[in-house]
Amino acid sequence: MENLNPTPPSPGPVEPAGEPTQGLRPPTVDTDSAIAENPDGEGDTPRVVQTDAGAKDGLAKCTRCGATEISLNVATGNLRCGFCRFEWSADNAMEAFGLGGDIGKLEGVVLGSGSSDIIPSTEEVLTFKCSACGAEVVIDTHSSTQARCHWCRNTLSMNQQVANGAVPDMILPFKTLKETAVASINKFVRKRRFFAHPTFLQEFNAENVMGVYLPYMVVDVNAHATLSGQGEHQTRSYTVKNGDNQQTKYDADLYNVVREFDIHVNDLTVESSSERLNQNSSHNSNNIINTIMPFDVENSVRYDSNYLAGFTSERRDSNLAELSPIAHTQAEDVTRHRVNDSLNFYDRGVRWTQEDVDVRGERWVSAYLPVWLYSYQQRRSNGKTFLHYVAVNARTGETMGSVPIHQSKLLLVSGAVQVVGTVIGVVLLVLGI
Amino acid sequence: MLTLAALVTANDQVLASGSSSDGDGGFVGLLFMLSGFIFYALMYFRYRNANKRHHHESETEATLLNLRERDDFVQSRKGLSNRTMSGANNHEVRGARRKFF
Repeated sequence: MENLNPTPPSPGPVEPAGEPTQGLRPPTVDTDSAIAENPDGEGDTPRVVQTDAGAKDGLAKCTRCGATEISLNVATGNLRCGFCRFEWSADNAMEAFGLGGDIGKLEGVVLGSGSSDIIPSTEEVLTFKCSACGAEVVIDTHSSTQARCHWCRNTLSMNQQVANGAVPDMILPFKTLKETAVASINKFVRKRRFFAHPTFLQEFNAENVMGVYLPYMVVDVNAHATLSGQGEHQTRSYTVKNGDNQQTKYDADLYNVVREFDIHVNDLTVESSSERLNQNSSHNSNNIINTIMPFDVENSVRYDSNYLAGFTSERRDSNLAELSPIAHTQAEDVTRHRVNDSLNFYDRGVRWTQEDVDVRGERWVSAYLPVWLYSYQQRRSNGKTFLHYVAVNARTGETMGSVPIHQSKLLLVSGAVQVVGTVIGVVLLVLGI
Repeated sequence: MLTLAALVTANDQVLASGSSSDGDGGFVGLLFMLSGFIFYALMYFRYRNANKRHHHESETEATLLNLRERDDFVQSRKGLSNRTMSGANNHEVRGARRKFF
């Protein structure tokens, strides 16, 4: 036995090599009962942190002049009154709700009230009475939580949470200006003009980009992990002759490896719209929106519908029960990759045969995160359509996109490359190069 | 004899990788003979970015604490043909949402 890293007590016998088994054990709570409110955090039910306390629906007025014409000033990140230009900001969500506390102290499931389960029968279209003129105003929560009164022109906001996923716990305001996003999208497409579909190039106009708040769940995980398996360290590489051929061979030392540790995963972000979760890239380009993550979610503020003015939003339609397995698998990935820092000695790799990740506590917060989205509906010759996106992370400016391809042109050029390559390849093979 | 192992690697880089048992003599030649397919794949992924995804496993902040390590020597292995350990999975990602088909 050779102990490479003299460390505190051994975690126990090493499992023999075999079929890999892995498991991430959630805290001892029933996630199906996630909507059960348990403000005291007693028992096994999730502890719900009320994140819309004090929030009011209806007219949200400027504290200085009383106007309801309030919107985000993207340049400063503050809300600004359209009449008196007074600016202010909502409280930082993590601080306001105590959701940014020490992950190591997390036990059981903690969730913001805006992350509670969606009740299917909840109406999407809600009617509010305008407190300025008494008219009834309709808000379609599918795409917004604001509407303008058609009589007195005041803006009505919905800030209280209803069980349809329209109002999240927090919102991360836009930071990247539209002009910057347009320039990024133009630059992205300009680099991909040659094989781009001519109809796309004809119709492309980056000015049509839309500012969209997309729904996500932000998850913190406090877990204890034990990984065991085998690792190989290369001791020698050499070349041997096998007839006329030469082969590279390797010598390696095999070790039984165990790593036991606590892991705190911070702000793991998962899409909470079922449509965005479907990232089959042969059917859609949702992977583009996924690629522009991560966001600086720690700068999110308490939800205020005024941040949505001028933008659209997409409602959350997935619950904890659907999202938990995804978040747990991803937390397991984070765990496996994070521990690689301690495996540098095993330059040939490690084969984990047992992965136990025991989740002691987890915290779920729903959020609207900002994306500049250019979308293009391509009509294909077979009559089917495909929606392409070019997306800009409205916090970091990271840009990614899918540009429709002119298939016949690409096939023609690829064919020409193939012909030339074949000729060169034959010559090189004959020459034995 | 050359085997084209992958066009799209696990870390989303589009390339052609191969292993050769007779040195790299015929490798370059065969690479040229596949150049049309490689060119098509490179352009497809450059324009469509169908292989791109958020790398949650490395881009998510995580703190590792109270690490305990155990490394027990088992045996020395001689004359292995592969450059990496068979079945190594310490870089595996299972939670990616992006699917090709």
